Amino acid sequence: MDSPTFARALGLAGGPSIEVYLEGGGYRAARKAFLEMTPAAVLDEVKKANLRGRGGAGFPAGLKWGFVPARTDKPKYLCVNADEGEPGTFKDRYILGHDPHLLIEGILIASYAVGIHQAFVYIRGEYERIARRLEAAVAEAYGRKILGPDVFGTGFALDLAVHRGAGSYICGEETALLESLEGKRGHPRLKPPFPAAVGLFGAPTVINNVETLANVPGIILHGADRFVGLGLPGDGGTRLFGVSGPVVRPGVYELPIGTSLREIIFTQAGGMLPGRKLKAVIPGGLSAPVLRADEIDLAMSCDALVCVESMLGSGGIIVIDDKSSMLDVLLRAVRFYAHESCGQCTPCRLGTQWLRKIVERLAAEGGKPDDIDELARLASGIKGRTLCPMGDAAAMPVLGIVQKFRSELEEAVCRP
Amino acid sequence: MPTLTIDGRTLSVPGGTTVLRAALEAGIDIPHLCFHPAFAPEGSCRLCLVEIEGLPKLELACSTAVREGMKVRTETPAVRESRRRVLEFFLAEHPIDCPICDKAGECRLQDYYEEYGLTESAFREAKERRPKKVALGEKLLLDRERCVLCTRCVRFLREVTRTGELGVFERGSHSEIGILEGRPVATPYGGNLVDLCPVGAITDTTFRFRTRTWFLSARPSICPLCARGCSIVIDYHPGFPRRPGSAGVLRIRPRPDEAVNGFWICDLGRYGYLDLHRRRLSRLYWNRGGAEAGMSRDKVLALLGEKVRELAARGRSSRLGLIVTTDLTVEELRAVREGLLARLPGARLWFADPPAGEDDGFLLRAERTANRRGAAGLGFEIAPVDLAAVGNGLDLLLVFGSHLADAGPAESVGQALSAVRTKVLLSPVSTGLESLFDFVIPAALPSEKAGTFINADGLARPFEPALPLCGETWPEEEFIAALAAEISRGR
Repeated sequence: MDSPTFARALGLAGGPSIEVYLEGGGYRAARKAFLEMTPAAVLDEVKKANLRGRGGAGFPAGLKWGFVPARTDKPKYLCVNADEGEPGTFKDRYILGHDPHLLIEGILIASYAVGIHQAFVYIRGEYERIARRLEAAVAEAYGRKILGPDVFGTGFALDLAVHRGAGSYICGEETALLESLEGKRGHPRLKPPFPAAVGLFGAPTVINNVETLANVPGIILHGADRFVGLGLPGDGGTRLFGVSGPVVRPGVYELPIGTSLREIIFTQAGGMLPGRKLKAVIPGGLSAPVLRADEIDLAMSCDALVCVESMLGSGGIIVIDDKSSMLDVLLRAVRFYAHESCGQCTPCRLGTQWLRKIVERLAAEGGKPDDIDELARLASGIKGRTLCPMGDAAAMPVLGIVQKFRSELEEAVCRP
Repeated sequence: MPTLTIDGRTLSVPGGTTVLRAALEAGIDIPHLCFHPAFAPEGSCRLCLVEIEGLPKLELACSTAVREGMKVRTETPAVRESRRRVLEFFLAEHPIDCPICDKAGECRLQDYYEEYGLTESAFREAKERRPKKVALGEKLLLDRERCVLCTRCVRFLREVTRTGELGVFERGSHSEIGILEGRPVATPYGGNLVDLCPVGAITDTTFRFRTRTWFLSARPSICPLCARGCSIVIDYHPGFPRRPGSAGVLRIRPRPDEAVNGFWICDLGRYGYLDLHRRRLSRLYWNRGGAEAGMSRDKVLALLGEKVRELAARGRSSRLGLIVTTDLTVEELRAVREGLLARLPGARLWFADPPAGEDDGFLLRAERTANRRGAAGLGFEIAPVDLAAVGNGLDLLLVFGSHLADAGPAESVGQALSAVRTKVLLSPVSTGLESLFDFVIPAALPSEKAGTFINADGLARPFEPALPLCGETWPEEEFIAALAAEISRGR
């Protein structure tokens, strides 16, 4: 498939190295932006491409860049969110580990467009080996004067620092990430103000997901039209879908936005393992409400998944077969959120705990159907009332499982 | 000045005001726990969610700035339901031990719990057990089961005192307020944490289990312990079990006063009453040959009047000395001047004040008396006690206040006093020198009388009696007036 965005260096021997990247045409997009385009033109191109954020919320990247005030007496920062913690999501690690220069090139172009001279990559603490690779790539870029005080000899300065997180899920939430990067507890901030106005160290800040930025070189090199042509109008380009579960070929697949979920699972990932039957799919990381096996004939795009009350999220597709119990899935989910709640706001701190206690009790000793009603009631009590999106992230999978697999849950819970 | 409506009431408030502040100022109470007017909004308790017309979700009243034409509703079914749900989360793990909680009666969580009728718990799981008696500081205990993690205490120590002794430790439902090992809350403003805590999580060892809050009568007063004159509330237990006078004081709290002390008081002002009560004088007596003989006011007056008249008649008013203090009110000092000094030309006058302490740069001033500006404003020259002059040729010495012991080494003070023929002490609390006086008269504490202090910034701090008089207390103003009348009567 013709893919202007990724997969250039993936899988090549020595892929992460700058030689391989340059050989494959790397940094041509950044050179083009720096030497042939104005920052405004770069911004326009990204806006035109309808590049939506790949981290989960799907917010248009160009719009986000545009929110940063042009004139400010403070420095402006770019923070790359590489704290890939959403269960079932493992796409950014491919870019970080196999094609780090693609990310660095995206960072260069974004920084040029917004007028940023200091960028940070906040990388998931568990990605230790990958962080070392990224650091090596950053050093290579400095060595070739691609980063540093004089990018491509234009006099534009850009410094890039890699910061490793300490393993907290909530630090993937952009404002918690900023707090953590500042050396504080990773607690989400109250919004507004939004990071574009008051972000890292109180300065205007752009925060983008790794994959979002990795799309930018392709957009600049081949033009927004080509990018839009790959995906859907309003949701351009391709996405990295991470498929996990009992499929023949689990892995990361770069596919145009709008590819059907059925195709991803049954064609790209090779279908179910022999003897397994598809029961359910979590389409966009654990927080996305689950879909039944009969709901997979849909185009994978932000808007289409909202229509079925789920979300594209991080594109992490978790395939669940008929041998797995939905009560187990639920138990894992509620344990995860109870463990990862930062504890700052009430509904999430106490609600996730309450959910965990109920599901653990149901799993251990069973219960009554009204326990299941109670789960749904509690989850809806958390939803929409928390300080950051994590409350919704914890509530939605519970609501989804209760809604779509109620009879199975009842059967599992109400033991004779 | 944007104009908005809250529950149909039209309000105009300065731009940048939050919905919650606008509502509170208009007397509309939107339930909240983590918000405190002294701090930036925290937005973590999630109780103050309200409906704003045109917005799809409920919004936080504490952090949403008002906009022109905004329509806010705080009592719709959706808002009430939201509050009920959030409260339910709070209460799920809360011990609801109101019957043994010091905060009961003035606890926000308890009020809301009652208002929203959440007496039936849907929580069927086991509640977490947490430590209920964690020492945070000398007088501060933390009950982690009651804590709602509003972080007001943490923010107070970070933003106001900037000492930062408290922090949130652990994560999620394990989150807890705590100190670093061996680093307790040591700021002299730590008592404020007890008032700040919206629930009974932080309690005060001087108040713990001593009463139920609904027995207390809150009486406004002014703190006399330094030249700032903070506005305070004296929580007084007037009823059963009966306690004599000021012994009924169970707690001193700050009274919000933007111009003087904001929302806070220092621990000296908060706990100083404990020391005052220990030292309180309550009997009027005559030291006769080492024995304390009870006296009536009339008898003291008659004896003193006679002595003063005798000195005046012999033209020896200069052998009469007065030692006052800038702890006296403007009214009392005026009475000293007009009632006594005017009638006794030549009488000597000194001021016995406590030594200056340290200005802590926040509330506590270096000057540890309440009314030095008031005394200066009345034209007094504030001359310190001249012990040599006292000990040399005085026949009668009237001492107001409890600070004479600070005028010099104990030996010199004793020598000077022993040289005076008749000595009268008028003090609310023991000075340690009572045995050296002939007459000891219990005077009134500022909390027991009316008057005015002028604080270090020149602000008048008027106050009314907050407490009944203790024992045989003879308020200074009454004493001076009576003595003045006695002196005049004989002429």
